[in-house]
Amino acid sequence: MAFEGGERGTTDERLTARLRTGVGERLGTSDEHDTLVGVLFCLPNLVAFSIFLLGPVLYAFYISFHEWNILANEGTWIGIQNYVAVLQPAPWANDWAPLTDPTANTFWYSLKTTVVYAIGTVPLQIYGGLAVALMLDKRVRGKKVYRAAFFMPMMLSGAASAVMWRWFLAADGIINSLLPSFLEHNWAGDPGTALMGVMLMAVWGGIGGNMIFFLAGLQNIPEELYEAARIDGATGWHRFRHVTWPNLGNTNFFVIVMAIISAFQVFGIALVFSQGGPYYATTTTVLLVYQRAFEEGAMGYGAAMAFLLFCLIFAFSYYQYKNRDQAEVGY
Amino acid sequence: MARSSYDYPGYERAGARYWTKTTLLYAGLGLGALWMTLPFWWTFTTSLSANPTAGAVSFLPAEVTLQNFTTLWERDDIMLVRWFANSVVVAVAVTAFNVTFDSLAGYALAKVDFWGREKLFLVFMSTMMIPAMVTLIPVYIILVELGWTNTYQGLIVPLIANPFGIFLLRQHFRSLPSALGDAAKIDGCNEFQTFYKVYLPLAKPALATLAIFTFMGAWKNFQWPLIIASNQDMYTLPVALFAVRNQYFAEWGLMMAAALIIVAPVVIAFLAAQNYFIRGMSLSGMKG
Repeated sequence: MAFEGGERGTTDERLTARLRTGVGERLGTSDEHDTLVGVLFCLPNLVAFSIFLLGPVLYAFYISFHEWNILANEGTWIGIQNYVAVLQPAPWANDWAPLTDPTANTFWYSLKTTVVYAIGTVPLQIYGGLAVALMLDKRVRGKKVYRAAFFMPMMLSGAASAVMWRWFLAADGIINSLLPSFLEHNWAGDPGTALMGVMLMAVWGGIGGNMIFFLAGLQNIPEELYEAARIDGATGWHRFRHVTWPNLGNTNFFVIVMAIISAFQVFGIALVFSQGGPYYATTTTVLLVYQRAFEEGAMGYGAAMAFLLFCLIFAFSYYQYKNRDQAEVGY
Repeated sequence: MARSSYDYPGYERAGARYWTKTTLLYAGLGLGALWMTLPFWWTFTTSLSANPTAGAVSFLPAEVTLQNFTTLWERDDIMLVRWFANSVVVAVAVTAFNVTFDSLAGYALAKVDFWGREKLFLVFMSTMMIPAMVTLIPVYIILVELGWTNTYQGLIVPLIANPFGIFLLRQHFRSLPSALGDAAKIDGCNEFQTFYKVYLPLAKPALATLAIFTFMGAWKNFQWPLIIASNQDMYTLPVALFAVRNQYFAEWGLMMAAALIIVAPVVIAFLAAQNYFIRGMSLSGMKG
C-alpha cells in the first residue's frame, strides 16, 4: 500500500490518498440505508455463490466420507475409507510402462499423467505466447491477420478441437500422410504417444490467449524506459532482460497461475480425444474423477479425489501468491 | 501505442543485420500462423470429402461433396437443430443472467459505501481459486435433489456464479467518477436509478466484453452439460459431438462437418468483431 499511517493532512490530501489506495471512493460515511442497498445489489450473486461454489466445497468434503447411493441420492458414512483407497500405493513397477491392470489404483498414475501434462504444456503455452507477443509488438505488416490467426484456436470448444486433432493424428489421418513412411505412427492409439497428442493440441489452443495477455502487458511498459536503455547503449537482449522482463512481472504471475490451474483441471479434451486410454495413458485426475463418480457412480470416491486435487491446487496458488508479494518490483 | 525501432534515429534500416532480423521475424510469424490455421483448413477439406483417408485429403479433397453435411441433417438420430437451439438457449440465458447480476454486484462493490464491502469482494474473488471439478459432484447431487437433471434450468443456473464478471465490472465502475452519482442523488435519484440511468450506460464497453466472454464460455462449455444432460434431447453441441463421436467413430468426414458446425458461428462472430474481442481480452486480464 502506498499510503499508511492514519488520516492526516488536508481533506484534499486525504481524498487523493484514498483514491490512490483504493479505499473508498468518496468521503461519505456509510449508514444503514447504504448497507441495505449494497447487500441487496449483491444478493443474487451471494445466493448463487453460496449454492454453487462455497457450499459445494464443504459439501464435497462431507460427501468424500460417504459411500454414496446414486438411486437414493444419499450416503452411508464410512469415515476415511475413500481417502485410504485413493491414496494406497501406486501399482506400477516401471514408471513409464502403460498401466494394464484395470483393477489397479489409478489415482497416483493419473496424478503423474496430470503433472507430465502440466510440465509439458504450461511453459510452451506461456513462452510461446510471449514470443508471439514480442514479435507482434514490433511494426509488422498484416499484424491484424497474424493476431487473428493465433487467436483462432481459442474459439474452439475443447470437444471440437479434440475431435479435429484425433483425425489429424489418426492412423489414416492427415499428419501421417505428410510424414515420410518410416515416421508414420498410430499417434493416438499408442499409449506412448497418446498424451503427447493431447499436449500438442493444448499448446496449439493455449498460445493465443497468453499472447493477448502479454501484448497488453507490453503496451503498458512506458516508452521512456526503452529510450533510456537505448541511450545507455543497451542492445536488444539487454533491453528485454532489464526492461521488458521485469516490467512483465504482474502479467507473468497471472498467466502462470491461470495456466497451471487450468492444466490441473484438464478433462474434456482428454476424454474426447482418447477417452483416457489407451491403457490409462491419457487419464488425467479430473477425468478419473469423472469416470469414477459419473460413469461408475462412486461419488464419495470421486469427491475424495477431487478434494485432494483441490488442496494441491490451493496450496500451489497460495505459494505463488506469497512469493509474488516478495518479488514484486513495485507498482 | 506500439513501439517501433524505426522511430529512433541511427537505427539501421538496411544492411545484412536488418534483413536477417526481418526475415526471421516474418518466418517465425508465418510458420506460427500456419500452424494455428492449418487445422481449420484440414477440418474444412475433410468435411467436404467423401470417405476421407490420408490419401484422399490433405490440402484439397480428391472428391468434393456436401454429403457429410446432408447426412448430419438427415439422420434421425442426429438432432442437429435441437442441439443447436439448446446451445443458443443456454448460452444466451447464461450471458443474460451473468451480465445482469454482475453489473448489480460490481456497481455496489465499487460505488455503494457499505459495511463489509471489501470483505465481500475478497470472498467473491477467492472463489476464483475454486476449481470447477471440486464443485462438480456436490452441485450434481443438489440438482438431482431438485429434479433438475435434463432441464434447461439445470444447464443454466449453476453457471451464473462466476466471479470474473464481478471483478471486471467493479474495476470499470470504479474508473467512473463518483461525482456523477452524487449529482444524480441531489437531483432525486435513488440508488437503483443512479445505477441504471447514470452508470450503466457508461459501462457499455465492459458489459459488452463480459457478454462476449460469457457467451463464448457457455458455447464452448463441455464439462457441465456432459454431466447434467443424459437425455439426448437436452444435449448442447459439444456434448452431442462427443456422443456422435462414440457412435460414428472414424467416420471422419462426418465428424469434421459436425466440428465445423460448432465452430462456425463463433469464428464468424470473431472475425466480424475482432478488435472488440481482443480489446476485451486484454481489458479483462490486466489491472489487478
